[in-house]
Amino acid sequence: MFERRLYYHIDWALVVAVLALCALGVAMIYSTTTDPTRATSRLYITQLYAIVLGVGAMVFMLTLDYRTFTDKSHLIYLALLALLVYVMFFGTVQMGARRWIALKGFNLQPSEFAKVGVALVLAKYFGENRGDPAWTDLAIGGLLTAIPFGLIAKEPDLGTAVTLLPVFLAIAYLAGMRMRILGMLFLCLLLAAPVAWKFALKDYQKSRISTFLDPSQDAKGAGYQQIQARITVGSGGVSGKGFKQGTQGQLRFLPVAHNDFIFSVLAEEQGFAGVLVALGLYLFVILRALEAARLAKDRLGSHLVLGVLASFTFQVVYNITMSAGLAPVKGLTLPLMSYGGSSMIATLASFGLVLNVRMRRFTN
Amino acid sequence: MVAQVEDRRRLTARLSILQYVITVVFSILAVSFWVLQVVQHAKFEEMAENNHQRTLALRAPRGLVLDRTGKILVDNRGSYSISIVRERTKDLNRTIRLLSAVLGLDEAGVRSIVDRHRREPTYRPIMVVQDATLAQVAAVKARRLDFELPDIVVEQVPTRRYPETMAAHLFGYVGEVNDAQVSESDDLKSGDIVGQAGVEKVYNKLLMGADGAKKVVVNSVGREIRTLEEDEPTEGKRLQLTIDADVQKAVEDGFKAAGFNGASVVLDPGNGDVLAFTSVPAYDPNAFAAGIDRVTWASLNSDELKPLQDRAIQGRYSPGSTFKMAVALAALEEGIITPDFHAHCVGAATFYGRPFKCWKKGGHGSIDLRHAIEQSCDVYFYTVANLVGIDKINKWATALGLGVKSGIDLPNEVQGLVPSTEWKREKMHEKWYAGETISVGIGQGQVSVTPVSMAVYMATLANGGTRVTPHLLKAVDDGQGWKSVPPPPPQSKVDINPAKLQAIRDGLWSVVNGGGTGGRARIVGKDISGKTGTAQVISNTGRVAAARSNKDLRDNGWFVFFAPRDDPKIAGVVFLEHGIHGPNAAAVAHHILDTFFAKQDGRPLPPPPTHEQLRLDYKDPYARKPAAAETGGQN
Repeated sequence: MFERRLYYHIDWALVVAVLALCALGVAMIYSTTTDPTRATSRLYITQLYAIVLGVGAMVFMLTLDYRTFTDKSHLIYLALLALLVYVMFFGTVQMGARRWIALKGFNLQPSEFAKVGVALVLAKYFGENRGDPAWTDLAIGGLLTAIPFGLIAKEPDLGTAVTLLPVFLAIAYLAGMRMRILGMLFLCLLLAAPVAWKFALKDYQKSRISTFLDPSQDAKGAGYQQIQARITVGSGGVSGKGFKQGTQGQLRFLPVAHNDFIFSVLAEEQGFAGVLVALGLYLFVILRALEAARLAKDRLGSHLVLGVLASFTFQVVYNITMSAGLAPVKGLTLPLMSYGGSSMIATLASFGLVLNVRMRRFTN
Repeated sequence: MVAQVEDRRRLTARLSILQYVITVVFSILAVSFWVLQVVQHAKFEEMAENNHQRTLALRAPRGLVLDRTGKILVDNRGSYSISIVRERTKDLNRTIRLLSAVLGLDEAGVRSIVDRHRREPTYRPIMVVQDATLAQVAAVKARRLDFELPDIVVEQVPTRRYPETMAAHLFGYVGEVNDAQVSESDDLKSGDIVGQAGVEKVYNKLLMGADGAKKVVVNSVGREIRTLEEDEPTEGKRLQLTIDADVQKAVEDGFKAAGFNGASVVLDPGNGDVLAFTSVPAYDPNAFAAGIDRVTWASLNSDELKPLQDRAIQGRYSPGSTFKMAVALAALEEGIITPDFHAHCVGAATFYGRPFKCWKKGGHGSIDLRHAIEQSCDVYFYTVANLVGIDKINKWATALGLGVKSGIDLPNEVQGLVPSTEWKREKMHEKWYAGETISVGIGQGQVSVTPVSMAVYMATLANGGTRVTPHLLKAVDDGQGWKSVPPPPPQSKVDINPAKLQAIRDGLWSVVNGGGTGGRARIVGKDISGKTGTAQVISNTGRVAAARSNKDLRDNGWFVFFAPRDDPKIAGVVFLEHGIHGPNAAAVAHHILDTFFAKQDGRPLPPPPTHEQLRLDYKDPYARKPAAAETGGQN
């Protein structure tokens, strides 16, 4: 199964970069959650456990040929749908959303794994067809995406649901979807926006968008986080305030600093220098994964890599933009750095797939 | 195969496009962070500091005020103030509404306070409640933690504390500085607490300390995490007054027992030290210390008895018979009479065709100066005044301190009046008629005096001609020990022939220790010398006209004194407004003198007198009786 020579084709540079980002995340979680005036928080320990589990998942994803996974993708996909349906009825409720399945000492968030599942199933569907995808292909792919999207959005977790869209778009794009169709899709989205505004969005979502356009209109309410995020980042300066020396994160002016706004804390404490390092690492990871897609032995491999990479990239870019106060506040975590076990495991597992594709580029 | 290669090429091309797009996106992100973190760093750094750093004012306590023996008269207590810091306000109307509800205050009142300070910088707290109750503090603090009222600060501030209703007019009161005061002085800023009356006002510069500041780190709900730097406030200088708390208390107790309004000033005739000073009715300075409410302020202002008026330095009253010593001294010093000059009193005399009555119906018969003072014979002083003339009376009364300001270190002293021909010409553009001098001879007519000037008058008679300046400040402690303040120089000094002065003193001694009207003030062995006076508040013809009004028309009672006769240590005045008779004032003075000498001799202090012990005379000779002739009724 795992032949010895494959070992030499593992992209160690990518592994190191990914783990470096994880380490950066743990450091920031430690900085923001351990408060000497309170009882010591164990969040960073939990995160370390998640990383260990994630690395395990990554190794597991490496051991089997990725085609084994794509072959079983329909089963994985169905299992995930089942989990999402299960969450709908039996999930635990936190902060007004039913997103988790309570396991022993661990809350599993199936929606994080849904991204991988959708990537697998779409890669299988588009990767094995040759030639330009037909309208029907797009429709079927869209439907495959729409079902988990709907289930996750219903939890409600619109943020995570939206990360499924790049998966579909990226795979369809790679499969050769005409740019004209892509353009029309965007046009449809644009036209749908006012309708969505009117019917689909909840009030808090609307207010987040409207305050994004003018944060000062609600400086203590919905615009608060955005203004605070900008202050946090801007006050970091070139070299930052130093580890655990940030005032914005430490004194809780910035909410959920260890989670959604972890990049703001990095910017505050490590400054522009730290930001460049982190941005560089993310860019390296993404470009390196794109390289894996290019090197892939078959269409299937390329599509699979791009599928998992799409939601990752989307989340990274959106979260970083948001943490600088330059995008509406959305509950989207920063993959590899934000606190969160399910996300960590799912992300590392998906990088397992990326490594897998690259590693097996010479096998038959 | 061709299709596959073609397919592969397109795939590679599309991946390359993605590569470029991603690189561009990350470059944009990097530039965005560069703009925020490097270009706009200073702005955001300041905002972050404003976020988590608060500068809190640490109010400096005002200096303590002590009496001449070191007893604390005025100190400070801790109180809480509740203020709005608009810098942190999202919706000022909402804050005002919520705060009023939480504190149980009138919303319009809170709004008007905020409006008054609207033009000030928003970081400066606007004090809404100065002396908050613990319940109010708790209510606000609970809301603050809920993030409901993040713009409200609760500060602990030192607040002035005065002993209950003692010497209110002397201490004065403190209050928030007004706009005019801020623009006049460079040292004052809006929100400062400054003296607005009395010693608090006169010595405000000394009493006011320098506020400190504390820079603290707060978290997102405004809780203080740690202190960055602290600049301790400097307490105001401590003042030692010339006041003797025991004598002061004796004065207050005496008035309380008597139940009359009025004023009293007690001096050390040697140097002008004010030993006691009061004006009744008083107010409670504590009510001002905590920010007086509008209702209390309005009622103090509209009260017909004028509790805010300092009668001791702002009330002008006819001195009545207490003026006779000035007339006597003028006559003696100008060589017009000798102490042996006799007048014949038959109960009335006629001057310039008009009859003037003596208070004693049958008359005093042939009487000399000493006995005329003792018996307060009106006819004698009509006669002498007529001989001396108004201008010489004016000259000597002025030398004794009447009709001029005493120069006491209290604000807004008014001047009494001793008429002269020049005064009448200037003010009324009329000639002085010799007939007008007759009434002046017994302290009626145009003469008016303030109680403090009467105290100076007696001190001058006691010390032999030095018009000492009454003063309250004895020593100042600026933190490096007490430094005594030299008494201010006397206002003037005249040479008085001791033998002539002795005749007047003898008369005054007899008033108390002989058969005179001041017997109530007698203390065995202390040679109390004094003079009563009963002064009409209205002319007899006026009395008829005003008979139907509700106005209190009872006579004012005076007792002026010094003691002991030959080496005076104390001089002063007790003035009872509508006290009916001078001897009533003497009864009050007795307790003051008794206390003073008991303390001097080391005896136990006498207990406060009861109303009955004073044996006041309430018989009002004018009560619902038709008018008598012009003037009279002087004793």
